[in-house]
Amino acid sequence: MLRIDIPERNEWKALAHELGFNFHTIDGEPYWKEDAYYQFTLEQVERDIEAPTEEVHEMCMELVDKVCHSNALMQRLALPEHMWDSIHNSWKSGQPHLYGRMDFAYSGDGPAKLLELNYDTPTSLYEAGFFQWVWLEQAIAQGILPRHADQYNSIQERLINAMAHLGDRIDARTLYFSCIKDNAEERATVHYLQDVAVQAGLKAPFIYMEDIGLHPGAEYFVDLNNQPIHALFKLYPWEEMADDDFGEVIPQLNTHWFEPPWKAVLSNKGILPLLWEHFEGHPNLLPAFFETASSPPLPAGWVRKPFFSREGNNIELITPAGQREAVDGPYTDSPWIRQAYHPMPRFGNNHALIGSWVVGDRACGMGIREDVGRITKDSSCFVPHAIV
Amino acid sequence: MSKHDHTPHLPRRKRSGRLTLAMMGASAFGLTACGQPPQEEQITEIEFDEPRSFQSVEDCVAENVYTRSACEDAYKASLESVPRYSTLEECEAENGEGSCTAPTEEQSQAATGSTGGSWFMPAMMGYMVGSMMSNTNRGRSFERVYQEPVYRNRQNQGNWNTASNQATQRVSQRNDAMRSSVAQNRQAASQRRGFGSRSSARGGWGS
Repeated sequence: MLRIDIPERNEWKALAHELGFNFHTIDGEPYWKEDAYYQFTLEQVERDIEAPTEEVHEMCMELVDKVCHSNALMQRLALPEHMWDSIHNSWKSGQPHLYGRMDFAYSGDGPAKLLELNYDTPTSLYEAGFFQWVWLEQAIAQGILPRHADQYNSIQERLINAMAHLGDRIDARTLYFSCIKDNAEERATVHYLQDVAVQAGLKAPFIYMEDIGLHPGAEYFVDLNNQPIHALFKLYPWEEMADDDFGEVIPQLNTHWFEPPWKAVLSNKGILPLLWEHFEGHPNLLPAFFETASSPPLPAGWVRKPFFSREGNNIELITPAGQREAVDGPYTDSPWIRQAYHPMPRFGNNHALIGSWVVGDRACGMGIREDVGRITKDSSCFVPHAIV
Repeated sequence: MSKHDHTPHLPRRKRSGRLTLAMMGASAFGLTACGQPPQEEQITEIEFDEPRSFQSVEDCVAENVYTRSACEDAYKASLESVPRYSTLEECEAENGEGSCTAPTEEQSQAATGSTGGSWFMPAMMGYMVGSMMSNTNRGRSFERVYQEPVYRNRQNQGNWNTASNQATQRVSQRNDAMRSSVAQNRQAASQRRGFGSRSSARGGWGS
């Protein structure tokens, strides 16, 4: 694994605009960066990322099954009680899921270490699945990369297959797509998923989460025309939905959700200590524990994370050398876990994080984020990769 | 030619061969920029004031409550709502002997837009006008004039006071019906904003 400086493609910003990638620069700071790329060998990708991703995914599925059959584990994960039946039923009835992303610390040698799972509302999907692929094709065509260069990326192809599979199982092949208002990046991610759904032959209308309606006597949530929503993809986390005003009604209505309710088990950092409990010593796992009232202050070499947190918010770490780093945030109302600190590889000033994608149950691609800090945030840059 | 060009990479290729976008991009960009669809506006409440009866448009104008055009519009609307019959017998069977008449040319013009056509109606003795205040779920209120014809029939025997009392009753029945239909609508209206309420504080949910 190397970070290699290369020239940018000609006119890539115009192309980005043409292709609907309107958040390549966020608040004046670059988000997509292509003045360098991360270089991997095929062996690194297949042995160190792809195979472990599928293995950890299987471990996660095993754990979901355990949690779904145990009220005690549901309680330990702070899953709200009114959601237990929905979680259990959605798992037992085999409701399919669409996608997830595992974040690994990996430096090119030694096993990749799982830092966390983003299995409910992962983003950076368009960048990884589409724009990164276009970059590789053009970089080869423009002589920036050698002709034999390749990329670990069949994300979009897999998404289309997975959507087609969902389409066969939902009413009128219609899947609504939703996110909250006033967030351009999330809207674009959902727009991309709508695009993928349309390519898979689905109807893919959009509705904002805030506009979803509850109609007296209706068996489904309703759209703005009070028409029933039979199935809906939401880029909006289960723990929030459960807490929202409509949360208590979710189990009473027949609307199908993607990701399904059982994903709430995995979108929770409490899954990390559970993974360690069940698969202690696995080479791709880091030691992790639930924080309790009697836990001592955070020692050196440990990271503290809330159960529910996104984009690096409310994470605190102390390196083995005693250096403290922390990101503030609003996620202070859930329990905490502690995870052994594992350094991310550093290239110049940048720490690199591997986002490894799972679509359906297959590992199928990756995207790299880098940040000058040790905690990856929403402002961390996306840098493409190639197998050379 | 370098050795690489002969190496068959395809079997172990880790990336897809072809990708397309169906709707994102330059043409679809406008779609996202369009923003949210407008919230449906529904009437949630209606209030009626006491209607006044007038024997003519001039009478209405003279009372100085409504403008001349409001008086004229209300008259026309009242006339349009008077039941019409194709024969005098049918009209009298319904409204009582001696209650019916053919419209004047002016009434015919106002009711149907043409002076032609032969039809009969209960003789119109005047009309009632009132105000109706509607409130909507978007917090808007608007005021509208409503009207009702006062006509001669079997029960009122052509007595103006009785006729206008009867018309007042009709108005209040109709208003009750409207109120209860609004109340029903309000009950049947969908609740929104049940999801995403804390979002403005947190900005986003992707990870």
